[in-house]
Amino acid sequence: MTPPPELPTLTDDSEDDENLKLKERPSISIRMTIAISYALFFLLCVAITISSFWTISILEDKIKFLEITDNYLVEIQQARRFEKNYLLYGTNLDDALEHLTNAKKILSANSKTIKKIMGEKIFQSNSDYMQKYHDQLLKLGGEKKTGKIDDIVPLLRQYGGEMVSSAEEFVKKERGSVARMLMMAKRVPFYFISGLLVLIMIFVIYLTQNLMVTLKRFMDYTKRIGEGDFSPIVPAKKFKDEFTKLAEAFNTMIRELNHKHSILLESHKLRAIGTLVAGVAHELNNPLNNTLLTAEMLKEDLTVLSDTEKIEMIDDMINETVRSQVIVKGLLDFARESETTIKPLKIEKIVSEAIRLVANQVKMAMVKLKTNFEDNLPGIYGDEQLLKQVFVNLIINALDVLPPGGEVCVDIHKNKNSDFVVVEVEDNGPGIPEHIQSRIFEPFFTTKGQSKGTGLGLSVSKGIIRKLGGYMHLKRSSESGTIFMVSLPAIESPSEMMSKK
Amino acid sequence: MSKSLEVLLLDDEPIVGRRLKPALDKIGCHVEIFENPIEAVARIDEKEFDIVVTDIRMEKMNGMQVFEHVKKKWPRTKVIIITGYAKMELAREAMEKGIFDFIAKPFRPDDLRQIIARAAQALGTPIDLTLIKD
Repeated sequence: MTPPPELPTLTDDSEDDENLKLKERPSISIRMTIAISYALFFLLCVAITISSFWTISILEDKIKFLEITDNYLVEIQQARRFEKNYLLYGTNLDDALEHLTNAKKILSANSKTIKKIMGEKIFQSNSDYMQKYHDQLLKLGGEKKTGKIDDIVPLLRQYGGEMVSSAEEFVKKERGSVARMLMMAKRVPFYFISGLLVLIMIFVIYLTQNLMVTLKRFMDYTKRIGEGDFSPIVPAKKFKDEFTKLAEAFNTMIRELNHKHSILLESHKLRAIGTLVAGVAHELNNPLNNTLLTAEMLKEDLTVLSDTEKIEMIDDMINETVRSQVIVKGLLDFARESETTIKPLKIEKIVSEAIRLVANQVKMAMVKLKTNFEDNLPGIYGDEQLLKQVFVNLIINALDVLPPGGEVCVDIHKNKNSDFVVVEVEDNGPGIPEHIQSRIFEPFFTTKGQSKGTGLGLSVSKGIIRKLGGYMHLKRSSESGTIFMVSLPAIESPSEMMSKK
Repeated sequence: MSKSLEVLLLDDEPIVGRRLKPALDKIGCHVEIFENPIEAVARIDEKEFDIVVTDIRMEKMNGMQVFEHVKKKWPRTKVIIITGYAKMELAREAMEKGIFDFIAKPFRPDDLRQIIARAAQALGTPIDLTLIKD
């Protein structure tokens, strides 16, 4: 069996539970998300600054060091120049030795850094060449008087050449490293900024996406509430945020609306009762008139009437009184205040009772009312009074637009393709103008004028049907007439239930 | 008493005719009762009644339509309308159109007899209501 739809209760404690459900979630507020993102951006900026500062200070050291290496190269070149001058012109060799010693001092003072740049091996061979050159230079000085320099000079040239080229290479290498570093120092901020841009974009997209999706959800809520679905909002995300407060406010509003709606339902019912009362009063006048005429004549002719005639007249009075009672009872049943109770119902019975209630209006409007009920209709879930109200309303609406001689046809059938029972109320009236067709279910929309309609009939009716899990819509409206369609979920037919057992 | 007043009484409630026929007979009316307006109109076509009393609200044809029919056929005939309940605009409209009077349900036999007596007066054939007391 289909489960009964949720009861449309007037006061609902479960909504407080819903708000609890909303609250009982870990919270990641939008504010926090933004704060965290800002913190991240700040850290990134700090990182950029520190890294720039770091690169610049390294560059500073490097440039300082470049001077040292330049000095080193100059000293070596000077040593070689004086060596050559000595050999060519016989100038003093001490100058060459002095420059070489200076170069050696520079090398040993910065050995650590130079080793790092050149590598241990090259540094070692460089120092070796320098030492060997130094040795040869000393030897040259020693052999000055003897003139036996032929063995020394080639070696001196070889070691000197090696020493100079190695130093040149080293300086070149160091310059290259500085150039690379400069290049990097130029590029790093760009990398960081691009990274930051990407991050900001991702963050903005995430945030707007998140906001848009949530806003869309809330728009759907308002639409749903507008259509009369007053079920509370349940948590949609794992974490609560600023929208949770909004959802809580919505739930409070929904509860209030639900309460107001129940009052609206009541006033709408009163309106229907008011309409029906006019017809009932009219209808009551007939049995009252019959009773009054009969009683008067019985009194007037008491002495001349036969017993049979008297009995006949008394019976008439009894029957007419009972007839009055039936008329009043129908209205009382409809007007009786009662809690909404959803239970299995026979739709054809509800519709028949609604038709009986409006019988007087039908008669007054001089309209024909035809019914066409399919056999073996499945049951439905619903509240008897609310449903009667819907159908009374639909029929009265039809009567309002029909000229004398018009026709209303109420048709009930089971939808072949779905488990719905469909009630169609058709009239052959002038139809609803196309430009207002989309608005007829809006609350307070009326074409009847202030005195005749509240504009609540269709909107309240639609709300009632929606609550029962059904649908109500305008199936067709043209110059040849209008059909309103109400579909309600069917309970499985009794025979099906029997066969299951 | 001279010639009796010819009255046609039309109401789709059978008890109305059953009770009013003897009540009007007493004041010297000759009453024909109908429940079906179509039949009543057919009868009106055949015979000129002095007074037609008709219910306003009936299924096939309403009292106003019956009145229009009578007015066309027999301009002299007085038409009295029975209504379910008194409605000022209806009363005004009825009077303007030339309906003699109307009477709202529920009414007593005497109320109708008073109106019929006035109609008889207007027709020039007054009736004596004191007859009832006998």
